[in-house]
Amino acid sequence: MEMLEDQYRAALRDSIAGMGESSLQQAYELGRRALTEGLGVLDMAAMYHKALTAGLPRDSTPEETALMLQAGASFFAESLAPFEMTHRGFRDTNIALRHLNQTLEQEIKRIAHALHDEAGQLLASVYLALNEVAANLPPAREHLLKVKGLLDLIEGQLRRLSHELRPTILDDLGLLAALEFLAEGVAARTGLLITVEGDSELALSPLLSTTLYRIVQEAFTNVTRHAKATQVNVTIQHELQTLRCSIKDNGVGFDVSSLSAQIGERGLGMIGIRERLNSLGGSLSLVSTLGQGTELVIIIPHTDSLEA
Amino acid sequence: MASEAVIPINSDIDVVAARQKGRELATELGFVSTDSTLLATAISELARNIIRYAKYGEILIVSVQSGDRVGITVVARDKGPGITNISLAMQDGFSTSGGLGLGLPGVKRMMDEFHLVSDANNGTKVTIKKWKR
Repeated sequence: MEMLEDQYRAALRDSIAGMGESSLQQAYELGRRALTEGLGVLDMAAMYHKALTAGLPRDSTPEETALMLQAGASFFAESLAPFEMTHRGFRDTNIALRHLNQTLEQEIKRIAHALHDEAGQLLASVYLALNEVAANLPPAREHLLKVKGLLDLIEGQLRRLSHELRPTILDDLGLLAALEFLAEGVAARTGLLITVEGDSELALSPLLSTTLYRIVQEAFTNVTRHAKATQVNVTIQHELQTLRCSIKDNGVGFDVSSLSAQIGERGLGMIGIRERLNSLGGSLSLVSTLGQGTELVIIIPHTDSLEA
Repeated sequence: MASEAVIPINSDIDVVAARQKGRELATELGFVSTDSTLLATAISELARNIIRYAKYGEILIVSVQSGDRVGITVVARDKGPGITNISLAMQDGFSTSGGLGLGLPGVKRMMDEFHLVSDANNGTKVTIKKWKR
């Protein structure tokens, strides 16, 4: 850092002295280095200001000073160009991520529909076919009853999965009811003890409730996969102008600062969640201690009206 | 009005010459200064790649016209080892930039047009274009 600053000051001095393109190329290379060393745009502004104050000769005429400031401005712009390049990259990525989330939501709808309606219709024709066999082959009737029982189970599971994927309850009865339904299903499959608490009068926009539903859904998946927990508590509270959602488990926990806890390693689910939250101005924090469980806290700005 | 320059690229000093040419032409055509900077940045990145991967090569800078639009085409070519996996080279985070979006993907985002051909026998050729706004 120290060295970079020294080099930056020297290069700016060259630029002010009229070295032209070669000092601009240096400004670019220094900016590129600053970027890879983790400096931000504001650090660059501060560094420039400091170097300029040190580099402007005091005995120059206003005309000379104006020329030098102009050279300095080009130098500064040049040292920021690498930041512009990455900035464009991040912007593109964010747009792509948002698009991906929308596509994902449509895809989920499609799968839910296929599970519920199409598979349901196929099952209905299987029932009809079974009835025919039973009519033509009376001795098989008892076995066929067993098969029907199994088919009933399959139908029930498909329906439940389809509702969890794209819960119509969410639209009809609201977030809390949808989360209770989801928790029931996860509890039945995994043996987790799950509680869902919150204000049932919450008036949330469809975007907000879908986002929270997806977040809790992802959190349940993470708990099931990694936490070795027996219990999960979900609470949703409306505090002042924010909505606070907490998902807390009593599992093994993990070291949040460790490399494997970094967002890139935690799967696409978490990245998607961050983006969904960003688009609502929300934030997410993970609190975990080894051996003492994990709490995921979501805060989203929300006023008590449907416009949110 | 076609103006053309070919700058051999062997060292950092040549990078400065190429940037200078690009900037001169941009100013001559009336590019806004932000776009001149972007062009110089792109030239830097391309020249950097030549020196790093092929040791030497050349950069051609030429003005172009299409209807009432004017612009600048920059061609960077070398006879180096070529890029064996182009799609990988165009991914953010490949090579030295470590996910920051520098290098070829960064150049592509700053330009209006971008074209890359490369193979082991003929080296690498990157063609970029920036129109005057």
